[in-house]
Amino acid sequence: MKLRTFGSVFALGLGLTAGAAMAEYPERPINMIIPYGAGGATDISARTIAEPLGNAVGEALVMANVTGAGGATGSVAVQNAKADGYTMLFARVGSHSVNPAMKATLPYTLDDFRFVTVYEINPVACAVRPDAGIDSMEDLIAKVNEGGVSYSSSGVGSLLHLAGAMVLKEFGVEDPLTQATHIPQKGGGAAATAVLNGTATFLCTNSSALASFVSNNQLKPLMVTTAEPVVGFDVPTANDLGKPALNQLVGWTGIAGPDGLPDDVAEKWGTWMAAATEDATFRETMEARGSVIELMDPEAANAFIQGQYEVFRALVDDLGMRIEG
Amino acid sequence: MSLMDSLAAGFALVGNVEAFFMLFCGLVIGVIGGAIPGLSATMAVALTLPFTFSMAPINGILLLLGVYKGGIFGGSIPAILIKTPGTPASSATILDGYPMAERGEAGRALGMALYASCTADAVSNLALILFAGWLASFALNFGPPEFFALILFSLTIIAGVSGESLLRGALSALAGLLLATIGLDLVYGTNRFTFGDPNMMGGLNFIAVLIGLFAIPEIIAMAWNPVAHLGKTRALGKSKVTLADYIGSFKSILRGSMIGVFLGSIPGIGAAPSAFLSYSEARRTSKNKDNFGKGEIEGVAASEAGNNGVAGATLIPLLALGVPGDVITAIIIGAFMVHGLQPGPMMFILNVDIIYGLFIGLIVSSVFLLIVGSVAIRGFRFVADVPKRLLMPAVLVLCIYGVFAVNNNIFDVGVMFAMGWVGYLMMRHRIPAAPFLIAFILGPLLEDNFRQSMLMSGSDPSILMRGPITWFFWTLTFITVFAITRSTLRKRVPLS
Amino acid sequence: MRPGAFSIGAPISMTTKSLHLRIGIAAILGAAFLAAVAIPNYVSSPSNVGNIILSPVFWPYVLAGLTGIVGFGLVLTAVFSDLTVFDPRDEIAIPVGHAPWLRLAALAVIMGLVMVGLPRLGMVWTCMLAFVACAFLFRTRHPIAALVCAVVVPLLLYAFFAHVAGVAIPQGNFVRLP
Repeated sequence: MKLRTFGSVFALGLGLTAGAAMAEYPERPINMIIPYGAGGATDISARTIAEPLGNAVGEALVMANVTGAGGATGSVAVQNAKADGYTMLFARVGSHSVNPAMKATLPYTLDDFRFVTVYEINPVACAVRPDAGIDSMEDLIAKVNEGGVSYSSSGVGSLLHLAGAMVLKEFGVEDPLTQATHIPQKGGGAAATAVLNGTATFLCTNSSALASFVSNNQLKPLMVTTAEPVVGFDVPTANDLGKPALNQLVGWTGIAGPDGLPDDVAEKWGTWMAAATEDATFRETMEARGSVIELMDPEAANAFIQGQYEVFRALVDDLGMRIEG
Repeated sequence: MSLMDSLAAGFALVGNVEAFFMLFCGLVIGVIGGAIPGLSATMAVALTLPFTFSMAPINGILLLLGVYKGGIFGGSIPAILIKTPGTPASSATILDGYPMAERGEAGRALGMALYASCTADAVSNLALILFAGWLASFALNFGPPEFFALILFSLTIIAGVSGESLLRGALSALAGLLLATIGLDLVYGTNRFTFGDPNMMGGLNFIAVLIGLFAIPEIIAMAWNPVAHLGKTRALGKSKVTLADYIGSFKSILRGSMIGVFLGSIPGIGAAPSAFLSYSEARRTSKNKDNFGKGEIEGVAASEAGNNGVAGATLIPLLALGVPGDVITAIIIGAFMVHGLQPGPMMFILNVDIIYGLFIGLIVSSVFLLIVGSVAIRGFRFVADVPKRLLMPAVLVLCIYGVFAVNNNIFDVGVMFAMGWVGYLMMRHRIPAAPFLIAFILGPLLEDNFRQSMLMSGSDPSILMRGPITWFFWTLTFITVFAITRSTLRKRVPLS
Repeated sequence: MRPGAFSIGAPISMTTKSLHLRIGIAAILGAAFLAAVAIPNYVSSPSNVGNIILSPVFWPYVLAGLTGIVGFGLVLTAVFSDLTVFDPRDEIAIPVGHAPWLRLAALAVIMGLVMVGLPRLGMVWTCMLAFVACAFLFRTRHPIAALVCAVVVPLLLYAFFAHVAGVAIPQGNFVRLP
């Protein structure tokens, strides 16, 4: 028996005895797979919504972190699961729009999933060390043209990796891949530390990951990619700088099932999420972390993710960033 | 605000029963969580996190810190009793703790583990309180070249845990380094030895490899010869640690605590390498050198001091810079942020009451750990009395559950079994397992930091010698390698 | 002594000399296999790598080379030194006959069956069967206690992991536990 089949068999095992009982979905606990590690942005977001969502669903939600390969391991576990709504995935910008756009070797595509919601948007901000002598995006671009600029990310195929290249490209750097060096780190915390200790010049990441460094004056923000200003970041927005195309560059968290998820299940998730995101504690906790709660129904979520994927894919093909090996 | 005012403010904050009760609860949860292989301190902290959302900030954070500290100690209980480290940090404890349990001295080993843990914990907390600011700014000088030099030096630990033959130890380490290359490449994101399997892309799970390498070979050896253990005195771990034991190991404990504080204050190293480094230093300087690996109590003391010394010190980069040093502190940072606290230099000005409240709580935690730990030892010691042929199947089942729980993936159970046979083969050929494990932890760090340095400098190798910190570790590495080579050659002379 | 000289079933007590010869040769063969077959075929390196030291294959090749060197070292120590002392530990540990090999094979089969059973039967039932099989494989002197433990231990662990720690323990296709 090939080891590869274990994953799929396991996932089948989780989603058994469906079929006739569909009418009363859900009749037993639902497995919610978090494809990133404990303590990360996805994990905290998932565990924060777990309580109000569990109340709305009326059955227990079993949270399971399945980490590895930038979210691919957990995503594959859901891809191979039975499409009965008992195995769902907390999808994230990295695993479901940057990774598919960048990696030819990824074992899944966007078509393998059906998104039932996107409930959280994270603005992206770019930041440098305060003593780097860079006060604006203009300064940064001038430095890039001089050479020797680098940016850190949480790994190849992460939002941070793409964001660094996309921002430079948008601000007129011809070939960001050769004019600036990408220094991948392991994880978002390490990426911020790399800028703190001078290993890399700048990084572009979720504003929530930067908030504490910015308020402590350890990092200086240069811009945010949203149209609206972000609390705590006293910097121009992408629109102020005349680059509205960067509005697409945001983080998000959503929920997806395997492709072929029945319509009535998707609908139920739509109503549950509407109820769950109304919860006051949930909103407070998430907003304290710098997230914007923005609920999308299944159709809107699919359209949003597809749109972001296409923008990223075009950029990746344009710059030759696609990973084929 | 003067020191006295700050202290008073801190006392006002933690001066209620609830805060201490939470700390105590945390330690209990941590010790139990750490004692269950596969659950590990990390999982225990992650599982406790959601409960802290509704608490007062100081109570929640003390609860999590309690779980963290308890978990690191708790991991040593199964490491000593059933050769299965409850948490990666306690893998060094196996080396001498398990042979002691085999000899019927489980109680003595556990007692020493507890005292060493508490001492190191106290030293670590003191270091946090006294040197946080200074050590944190020092840690920020560690870029990839400095890390590379530090890890290269840490790899010399392998010589200390190789046992009788350095060559066999080196072979074991190389196997560990090779196995660690499985997964996605850091710089290009391409596949290495994944054979197209999505489960392999994330690399082999560390806990699965660890448990496979240490616990499963014991079960396989049982199948090879089910009566090998009969006649050995394994029964009741009634023996107790004595004051003389403690005094005899005190130097190693203190040294281990210092190593833990130093490595803990640098983000990204973690408790396991610290425990191994402390162990090999203790072995190098001990007069009972030959007894190490065969059940030397000083070895248990050194490893436990090394891993618990990290526990307080990882809070140094967390509080002073807002930088998490390992996965556990990354989760704890989440608790700070949920309460609107932003760790970093400003916190020492804006939330000084919380900082001092934490300090007071931490000092108390060392004492609480002593109490909770002694109760736990009494509770768990009966494991040593279970007939071994019943214990082993139970260990197998426990390992299956535990390894699955780490990443909710059945594939990891398969990895554990496969590594079990590798470990058994190594045992039969007298190839030590500890170098394998150290290399498996440090290998990716070494390679990643090397390549990051090369990216920084545009492939100019001189960056690896860019400052005093790198010079210091390079010198240390050369001195150690020289000493090892000389002593190996000397040993060989009478043999040939 | 040649490495092949140890046939299956024969006692494997050996001197350090023959031990080093065996693992030395194994290491050299392993290194050669890595360098010639495994690394070229199973480590993909993009075509646009600027510098060889940044390539994904650089580190595996370094490790393969070092493995070869250590292998040579082991062979050299075996050939040029006088390590013919028998290790007493091996003598004690070796039972006679084919039974040990059969038990090893049986344990390997049990592990294989566990992997097959986990997703189908569920973790609890698979572990109960594995517990019983192992206990009897080890010829326990307490068969009743073994049966009781085989039922109780997996159930207790299930209760803990599923309901206290909130882990999604695989349930299988047949009998689901609450």
